[in-house]
Amino acid sequence: MILNDFKAGAGAVLLREMLLLKVKLTRFGFVFYSLMSPLIYLAAFGFGFGSRISFDGVRYELFLVQGLISMTSMMNSYNLVMTSVSFGRLHNKSFQTIITSPTSPAAIMAGLILSGILRGLVAAAVIIGAGYLLFDVFVLSGFAAVALLLNLAFFSGLGVIVGLLIKDMESSAMIMNFFIMPMSFFSGTFFPVDNLPNAVKGVVYLFPLTHTNIIMRAQTLDGAVIVSGLILLAATLAVGTVGTCTMSNYSE
Amino acid sequence: MILVAENLSKSYRRVQAADNVSLRIDVGEVFGLLGPNGAGKTTVIKMISTLTHPDSGSVVIKGFDIRAQARQARSAFAVVPQENNLDGELSVVDNLRVYASLHRVATPRAAIDRIIAEFGIADKARVPVEKLSGGQKRRVMIARVMLTQPELILLDEPTLGLDPSFRRDIWNLITRIRRQGTAILLTTHYTDEAESLCDRVAIMSKGRIIHEDTPQNLITTAGSFVLETTDSNGQRDFRLFTSQEEINRSLIDRKDIEPYTVRAAKLEDIVANVEHNH
Repeated sequence: MILNDFKAGAGAVLLREMLLLKVKLTRFGFVFYSLMSPLIYLAAFGFGFGSRISFDGVRYELFLVQGLISMTSMMNSYNLVMTSVSFGRLHNKSFQTIITSPTSPAAIMAGLILSGILRGLVAAAVIIGAGYLLFDVFVLSGFAAVALLLNLAFFSGLGVIVGLLIKDMESSAMIMNFFIMPMSFFSGTFFPVDNLPNAVKGVVYLFPLTHTNIIMRAQTLDGAVIVSGLILLAATLAVGTVGTCTMSNYSE
Repeated sequence: MILVAENLSKSYRRVQAADNVSLRIDVGEVFGLLGPNGAGKTTVIKMISTLTHPDSGSVVIKGFDIRAQARQARSAFAVVPQENNLDGELSVVDNLRVYASLHRVATPRAAIDRIIAEFGIADKARVPVEKLSGGQKRRVMIARVMLTQPELILLDEPTLGLDPSFRRDIWNLITRIRRQGTAILLTTHYTDEAESLCDRVAIMSKGRIIHEDTPQNLITTAGSFVLETTDSNGQRDFRLFTSQEEINRSLIDRKDIEPYTVRAAKLEDIVANVEHNH
């Protein structure tokens, strides 16, 4: 009974998000806006440095595609979920319809995270496809799948929390500039974290995206991969819990 | 009782938006919260609808405490807020689908077809909500909550900003919903709306309920007659009286109130009197 309620509630929230996404996908500007930056990074860095650089015997193009999958999935899941929640709360007030429905906070949280995962998977698929077409590299391993799913779940959950807490849309730009953007560049997307000074490295290992990239590029299941996996899993469970509590205590 | 709200208080920073508000609404009753903008009506609706946590007080809907048994309480009521909260990019039918899904309507397709036919919105069913007029959006918002056949509807300023024909249209919808036995808590600052639709009315001012009764009893108790006067400086004023004799007595020895008129009191006069005195 409780499980059925949870599934139905999460499904209802997911249905709304997917209907909204369907409408948005018909607009060229939306697709362009979401994927243009990572595709430009891929083309510019890939063609610019690709054949001249390799890290530990790994072609730079492969390294870059792996990093961009992590970054793009993070950006898309976080941005789209955060915008959906905050815009629904602060502007068109449609979020109030969800919060005053009999759907449990945990189910709302799950529905929103699932919607972020699906949106992020679409974005990641575009980068995987572009990497294959442009540089003949194909990133699809068990490690990559785990990294991608954990990354999407964490950043979708984070998007819900930020969306629930911000007071205006300007605050979201601040979080983007101070947290998401530095993470995009320093977490091993374009170059190995090991190249950074030790002091910076200490901070960078606090970023979830760094651990996504470690798992994404893993060849074997070694200690570092297990630790990164556990950190990412714990972070994902933490945002899920915090998000559900924030939803439960939501008050205008 | 479908709704029992007791001693609800809420303040935002230093503004007391609701101060010890208590309400009881019977099954099938239409109860109006009447008052000017800023009286605290929307805050009360938001607290009852679980959107705003009260600083103190309690709300029980159909026997369920909204804090401890929020999900059960939310199954018994529906909210139509003051502002349009439909998803503008989605069509009318998609908005209905999402709502039916959120509220676990057992046979959603049949319920949506029924509501579309009942509310006469078949020609707009596939139209994105953002393309509808204000009155049409309000009609869809009311239609949407009827998908779940709730036992209590919270209607916040249902005709605010609508032209007279749409206002009349919404009044007819509310009358129809009431006939189905649904209780309605309605906030409005239109006295004619409250007088025409409500069984009982509470007049709010500065976050407090000042009077509560049937519209007719409020008029009778506060004064059935109004003496409108204009003093020598052209300043207009009015006073409520319970009888014509009382008016006559008050006019003796007052030569400075020329001209004056006497007429039957309306709910509007009672509300204006409350605003004047509080």
